[in-house]
Amino acid sequence: MDTLLSGQLLFAALVSGSLYALIALGLNLVYGTLRLLNIAHGDLVMIGAYTAFWLFTLLSIPPVVSFFVAAALCALLGWAVYEGMFRRLLANPGLAKRVEANSLILFYGISVILQNLTALAFTSSSRGYQYLDTVITWQGVSMTGNRLLSLGVAGGICIAALLFLRFHLFGWELRAVIQRREAAQIVGVNLNRVQPIIICAGFAIAGIAGVLVSMTEQITPFMGFPFTIIAFVVIIIGGLGNIGAGVLAGLSLGLIETYGVALTSPGYRSILIYGLFVAVLLIRPEGIFTKAVRS
Amino acid sequence: MKTTRRLACAALGAAAALSVAGAAWAADPIRIGYSMARTGIFAAAAPSQENPYELWKEQVNAAGGLELPGGEKRPVEFVSYDDQSNPANTVRIYEKLITQDKVDLLAAPWGTPMHLALAPVLQRYKFPMVGNTAASVQLRKVAPGYIWFPTSAIPDAMGPALAEMMAANGITSAAIIANELPYAQEFRSFLLPALKEKGIEVVMDESYPPDIKDMTSSLVQIRDKAPDAVIAMTYPSDAFLFAGQAKELGLKSPFVLSLIGPTIDAYRKVFGSAADGIIASAHWSPEATEWTRGKAFFDAYVAKFGEEPDALDSALSYMSLEILQQAVAKAGLDHEALREAIATGTFDTINGEVKFDGVQNDVTPTGFVQIQDGKIELVWPESIKTSDYQPKQGW
Repeated sequence: MDTLLSGQLLFAALVSGSLYALIALGLNLVYGTLRLLNIAHGDLVMIGAYTAFWLFTLLSIPPVVSFFVAAALCALLGWAVYEGMFRRLLANPGLAKRVEANSLILFYGISVILQNLTALAFTSSSRGYQYLDTVITWQGVSMTGNRLLSLGVAGGICIAALLFLRFHLFGWELRAVIQRREAAQIVGVNLNRVQPIIICAGFAIAGIAGVLVSMTEQITPFMGFPFTIIAFVVIIIGGLGNIGAGVLAGLSLGLIETYGVALTSPGYRSILIYGLFVAVLLIRPEGIFTKAVRS
Repeated sequence: MKTTRRLACAALGAAAALSVAGAAWAADPIRIGYSMARTGIFAAAAPSQENPYELWKEQVNAAGGLELPGGEKRPVEFVSYDDQSNPANTVRIYEKLITQDKVDLLAAPWGTPMHLALAPVLQRYKFPMVGNTAASVQLRKVAPGYIWFPTSAIPDAMGPALAEMMAANGITSAAIIANELPYAQEFRSFLLPALKEKGIEVVMDESYPPDIKDMTSSLVQIRDKAPDAVIAMTYPSDAFLFAGQAKELGLKSPFVLSLIGPTIDAYRKVFGSAADGIIASAHWSPEATEWTRGKAFFDAYVAKFGEEPDALDSALSYMSLEILQQAVAKAGLDHEALREAIATGTFDTINGEVKFDGVQNDVTPTGFVQIQDGKIELVWPESIKTSDYQPKQGW
């Protein structure tokens, strides 16, 4: 019981939850605006992680700087994917209808290519580096510096993204595209401007998440897939394309995982997460946090 | 038009003649086939096996080639395929290597399930292969024949060995957390009775799924119970999670074991001095002076790959080829003669002397290593230790 009420467990839950929320945020932005199911999302996390690793190991550039490099690199990749593949597909109404299903297969291909290119370039040996691993104790809660940084960055980006969507004009445009794509165009939202910006932003967020992950986990070309899965679980629980709900669902999943395991045993971890996932699909397929279904 | 074609034919013919002459002049290479989990779930572990293969080939070819009886030397060439971490592919690939590629020798694929799937294939084609990175009590059930396992890190021997090591170092209580994957669970099932026999109290015994992302609640309980020993039966991915969170929570237990993971080069790069004092499963250390070839292997590996070899898998992989090399020097490439030579011979490896009894190496003792000042030191058993066990001094 003491453990349950301790700040230690809350800290652990927030660190996991904020990371889930961040990774899912990127995926959800891309799905919401472009209706693209980015199965390669976790591989962008991997690219971010490698960026941080090489910059740190070869040039002694700390992750706080790598955030920007990884974000830029992944954004560039997003731009290339959009320009090279999806711009034409989305512009053609006939193809655009099928793009959702096709994107799954296309991104699967991209995922395999990214993994194997990385393995060819850097071998599949595990990598890792030591950064900010001093333990800070505050009010009886021990926190490793890099996990605290992860919480701060992931939480900060999620909050910033939500505020932006709520208060900035571009955020309104974006929400309009997510909610009513055709209607948004009629009222003057320029899809050709919104779409590339969002795909770049979604990819960049995944790259930043990769930098965060690289500080605490081992880095391999194949590390991305579990992140893809967790991101999909989060956005389905929250509601596909519902940005705010996705962030809330990510955070909730962190809390459910940590407290659920503390209450039962670690063996129940997957049962809890996927149990919730299946339950949501059965009972509220539009997502737990989505308001009444729109017509 | 006709002349051009004739010219082209002549040129082709000349080229073919030249290449045949060239090949005959350079002696036919000895082709060694294997499959490797280059993609899929085991991919991250595969370089720890394939790197030693590459190093061995380079060394053998630099010395003039693989020696056959009578002193003739022929260069070595690898024929390898990706099995995508799928044992069914492994079986197909080895059948192809044997029947279509007609390789001269075989080297082992990565992992226990692949080795187990391969044993009947080798038996059927009567093709000998020295295994390496497989470890499970199931190996003991494989009928002796055309496959051998040099490892001594088999759970039914590791359980009693660890309990003995703990008792010898005054440990009276232990907490166990184990990955749900088979190797960890096998180890757990043999450790629990061994601990009981030694009178070591188990204050906590919990298993966790392979995709675990947070161990805080288990580790807080362990911290509060403060046992003498924490036995974390980790696989590489959760080994990083365990060490990071154990450090965060400041576990005080002096005896900390993390089953697989700490011997990977990246582990010590991530944790630095916090990894000092962590014990892991392995029976080889580059620090062992009586195994003179061990240090040479270590240095050559570091020079070629810029990282340290894994004390378990890389050592085993290199050993398996050393055994093959020495058997070929004695018996040549004939499969039956080679089988006889491997089954009955005594081999000098980077891990000392190796001799097989049935499918198993019955010389190398089951050992444990400890990270001390960033180095992998053998601390158990007495007969092969390179340093004394030291209680872990903080993180």
